[in-house]
Amino acid sequence: MGVCITGIGVVSAIGMSVKENLSALREGRTGIGPLHYLQGTKASLAGEVKASNDALRAALGVGTEYVSRTSLLGLQAAREAWGDNKRSGVIRTGLISATSVGGMDRSEVFYKNYLAQNNPDYRLLTTHDSGSTTERIAKELGITGYINTLSTACSSGVNAIMLGARLILQGTLDRVLVGGSDALSVFTIDGFRSLMIYDDQWCRPFDDNRAGLNLGEGAGFLLLEGEKSIELTGNRPICNVSGWANAADAYHQTASSPDGKGATLAIEHAIRRAGIGLDQISYVNAHGTGTKNNDHSESVALQNVFGDRIPPFSSTKAFTGHTLAAAGAIEAVFSVLAIQHNLIFPNLNYRTPIAETGLVPATQLEAGAEVNAVLSNSFGFGGNNSSLVLTKYE
Amino acid sequence: MNKPALYLSAASTISHQPTFRNPGFSVGLGPVEASSALISPDYKAYIEAGLLRRMSKILRMSVACAKDCMEQAGIAQPDAIVVGTGLGCLQDTEKFLNTSLTVEGLLPPTSFIQSTHNTMAGQISLSLGNHGYNMTHTQNTLSFEHALLDAAMLLREGDRNVLVGAADEHIDILEDIARQLAFEANAPLTSAASFFVLSAENQGNASAGLADVYTSGGTEYGQEDIDAFLDRNGLQAGDVDLALYAGTPVQGAARNVDYLPLAGVYPTASAFALHYALDVFATNSEVRNVLICNGLRKSNLGLTLLKAFEA
Repeated sequence: MGVCITGIGVVSAIGMSVKENLSALREGRTGIGPLHYLQGTKASLAGEVKASNDALRAALGVGTEYVSRTSLLGLQAAREAWGDNKRSGVIRTGLISATSVGGMDRSEVFYKNYLAQNNPDYRLLTTHDSGSTTERIAKELGITGYINTLSTACSSGVNAIMLGARLILQGTLDRVLVGGSDALSVFTIDGFRSLMIYDDQWCRPFDDNRAGLNLGEGAGFLLLEGEKSIELTGNRPICNVSGWANAADAYHQTASSPDGKGATLAIEHAIRRAGIGLDQISYVNAHGTGTKNNDHSESVALQNVFGDRIPPFSSTKAFTGHTLAAAGAIEAVFSVLAIQHNLIFPNLNYRTPIAETGLVPATQLEAGAEVNAVLSNSFGFGGNNSSLVLTKYE
Repeated sequence: MNKPALYLSAASTISHQPTFRNPGFSVGLGPVEASSALISPDYKAYIEAGLLRRMSKILRMSVACAKDCMEQAGIAQPDAIVVGTGLGCLQDTEKFLNTSLTVEGLLPPTSFIQSTHNTMAGQISLSLGNHGYNMTHTQNTLSFEHALLDAAMLLREGDRNVLVGAADEHIDILEDIARQLAFEANAPLTSAASFFVLSAENQGNASAGLADVYTSGGTEYGQEDIDAFLDRNGLQAGDVDLALYAGTPVQGAARNVDYLPLAGVYPTASAFALHYALDVFATNSEVRNVLICNGLRKSNLGLTLLKAFEA
């Protein structure tokens, strides 16, 4: 039966739950707009989750103020994926989260006051390290034991899912809640602006005139279970995690190689691991950030792997913004939804094919054709390339 | 034992102690002094000058240790690169945070680029031209154990050689933060990197093997967790010739040594303990079993069991 997905949860700029996200995806409604909650940034547009920290804390019943937004968003999605499942003395349960900023949203508040010598609150820093954001989620859910955090920039979310699947297959864990979470911060917005890849307009993945990304925030979580766990929980599998791979591009610290080497390796190995043919991939949820470099390199990689028979593909980042370490997990949830509801999501804001590659993404919601296997890509800084293959549970 | 031991075929550490390319360093090693500094090798021997200029402390340490490991193990490419870091690239993170809050207009991007936790693993893949699995674990005081566990899994999945290591760097503000948050430690805060080659087969240069590694978070642990781990490996506490511990000594072990005074305090100091243990195996043939018991934080337990190979 392999590794099964039995629960999903998501929070993003397009909604606070799976249901809300699915509605927005169906209706082609973006969540990217001017910022309301994060103050002091130079970004005109971002995919902000439409809730303040206070509202999130109240809704989640988190008492302490010393909690990062990354933890709050993660907890929101993790709770939904966990659902009514119970702790168990028999089912070895773990938690793996991915984050790139950790508690930076709190640390930058501290550091501003620290520089100004304006009575900085050092306790804010107790949420800084990435591991603590996961420890907080674990604590609120009552999960102890295997608790881990991966941080490989924008591919982190897929890597958490991959590690969880491997831990189940090796018999180290019976079930594991896997996902990723990242909050918007001045630090990351300034960072991508310094690289001159932050689009002040709405991002346009795979369009010839694309000019960069819009950052977003959010979290996605999936509950993975192996055979033993499912026997005990009686949970109904939604999908299988069938293939995965991570490969280093080894080209540049931030830029992707023009020949898409790392991405090609990740896609090929993930599909091979899934044991299915190239023609069985029904839909590709692309990384598609909207930067000149990524979308070109990813297009080349898709051509390297699929030749002229590239499956329908789209990037959903024009809905959510680029949610960094959460992206791979959020998009895995979207991929599950694609399989569950036989949907191919539209690539918003696309007009003109990239001159060098000429690829045309899906631009309208496609419903009706069977979606049995989805390839989801996530590529990050450090040349970190990851791909995931999810398949319909048979 | 259902799992065969894995071979540690190279080890390299840059720290506040004379660890780098210095076999036998464990003999008579004293505590690290509060006034000590990082003992840096000639990085130019490992890293191209242009790259070196832009690299922070944690990147220099990591790339140099990684290259040293490749040389020791006599392999051109590992199948995978796995890194653990508790706090990541603090120097570049603080630098960009400072710039972003104080500079108007266009900001230099280098420190942002190098602030992400996976910069070490990424830079190592770049410097080796390696296209394999590339992973970074960051789970507080258990970051290294999680990396080691991942590496062990990769070997059981068919990889032959995995480069696995850990790094954390000290920056000045940590002293202020530790004081303000009343963080108590029995040793100074330090920087260090340790890398290893974990292999499925013995290339003839391994003095000891990794028998098992275990992590547990989110709950206060006790001696019974340690006993259960040893039991799973067919051992009792009395079979442990040397326990290298942070936090509480291992009851019943023949000898206990607190590794924090030797390594200094940083989230991945258990990686220093692993190198120290390998050096003990190489210099003292009477030591058969070493347990590294990482209780640097009370709610996190990391256990690493090493066994000497029959000569």
